[in-house]
Amino acid sequence: MSDTVADDSLAPREPRPARTRRRKVVPALIALVMVGAVVGLVWNLASGSLFFYNADEAVERRDELGDERFTLQGLPIGCSIVEGFQDDLPIVAFSITHGGVSADIVHFGDPAELFEPDIPVVLDGAWVQSDPDVDGFDGLADDGWYFASDRMRVKHDNDYINDDGYEDRLAESAEQVVVTEACA
Amino acid sequence: MTNPPLDLPAHTGSRTTRVLGAAVLVGVATMILLGFFVAPEDDLMADSVRMIFVHVPSAILTYVAFSVTAVGSVMWLWKRSVWWDIVAHSSAEIGVVFCGLTLVTGSIWGRPTWNTYWEWGDVRLVTTLILFVMMIGYLAVRSMGGDESAVATRAAVVGVIAAINIPIINRSVEWWADRTLHQQSSITDGKLEDWTLFTMFLGIVVWGVFYTWSMTHRFRIAWLERELRDGDLDEAIAARRAEAAASGGAS
Repeated sequence: MSDTVADDSLAPREPRPARTRRRKVVPALIALVMVGAVVGLVWNLASGSLFFYNADEAVERRDELGDERFTLQGLPIGCSIVEGFQDDLPIVAFSITHGGVSADIVHFGDPAELFEPDIPVVLDGAWVQSDPDVDGFDGLADDGWYFASDRMRVKHDNDYINDDGYEDRLAESAEQVVVTEACA
Repeated sequence: MTNPPLDLPAHTGSRTTRVLGAAVLVGVATMILLGFFVAPEDDLMADSVRMIFVHVPSAILTYVAFSVTAVGSVMWLWKRSVWWDIVAHSSAEIGVVFCGLTLVTGSIWGRPTWNTYWEWGDVRLVTTLILFVMMIGYLAVRSMGGDESAVATRAAVVGVIAAINIPIINRSVEWWADRTLHQQSSITDGKLEDWTLFTMFLGIVVWGVFYTWSMTHRFRIAWLERELRDGDLDEAIAARRAEAAASGGAS
């Protein structure tokens, strides 16, 4: 076999088979999927920068967002976390911070498995203009608004720490300084 | 007139592939030992961090495999080299397996860590899925049949377009650093220590050897398929010539 395609004019040629319906449909479907993939890629890249608002941006755009559902990200402040029940459903109230701005959160449902202070969370929900009515919760933002969330993800970073120095190193992080100041 | 029988080997193995295969088996056994019993659990993620030993190597080999496909595709379009076309096709098949493994392990890891199997808003996740779909499309184009050269050209175009996505996927967590759920690069920016770091790099090496081993076999199979097909064609031509000669030169 040669390394390149040869034009073998001696090869017996079979009559071209009639183009069946399947022969037209399959390439069309493949083309459609490929175009869909490219469109999906472009759309995803274009909207990627709007996946979530950080707490400071969401507070700044509060009027614009109104009661629209959106995704919010921030760092939970440890001393603010209060867990409880409302109408027999688990809830967790806490404050988050980002960019020096804090926001109060009431999450309806169980918190994520890795929900902890100082580990960023990504929440789906909407602003509610009211003080959060959760026993024992004293929101750090305390600005007459809270974010009512019903879906929580934890934004883990790329530190795979596996020794006893975890707490010491965490205390050194800039986020911890922010949290400590906020609680004080 | 009779044709000489095709001189094709009975299998695709060689001393080198046997050594590579044995190295993969030993490597996987070592990874299991280190991954489950030696590397410590993460303080926060606990045992789920062990997914990194499969997930990261799979992602890296996805990039490698589809990059090889892109190079092979360019070489086919440029030189019409059948050798490169077979390389592109073989690497795409293996790359789809690695890409699928990346998506599945990432999803399984995401559930306990992020609290979700999938996040449609995340650029890294969605662009990886799109790469997977595009390479499935590449293989679908390959299996369409018809003129071999035309199929190879169509597939090569898809292979090159799909490869544009690779640097986007790789850099997405840096370009959208503050807008993605996916953590940033574990290799260049991550903090991994001792056995965790070693086991992850061992995983990359073992997956790399597995890729080389499977590429060698897949390439040889594809090459032999072509040899056989071309041999059959030669036989058909010879039969036709013999037929024509027997009937007095009319064809």
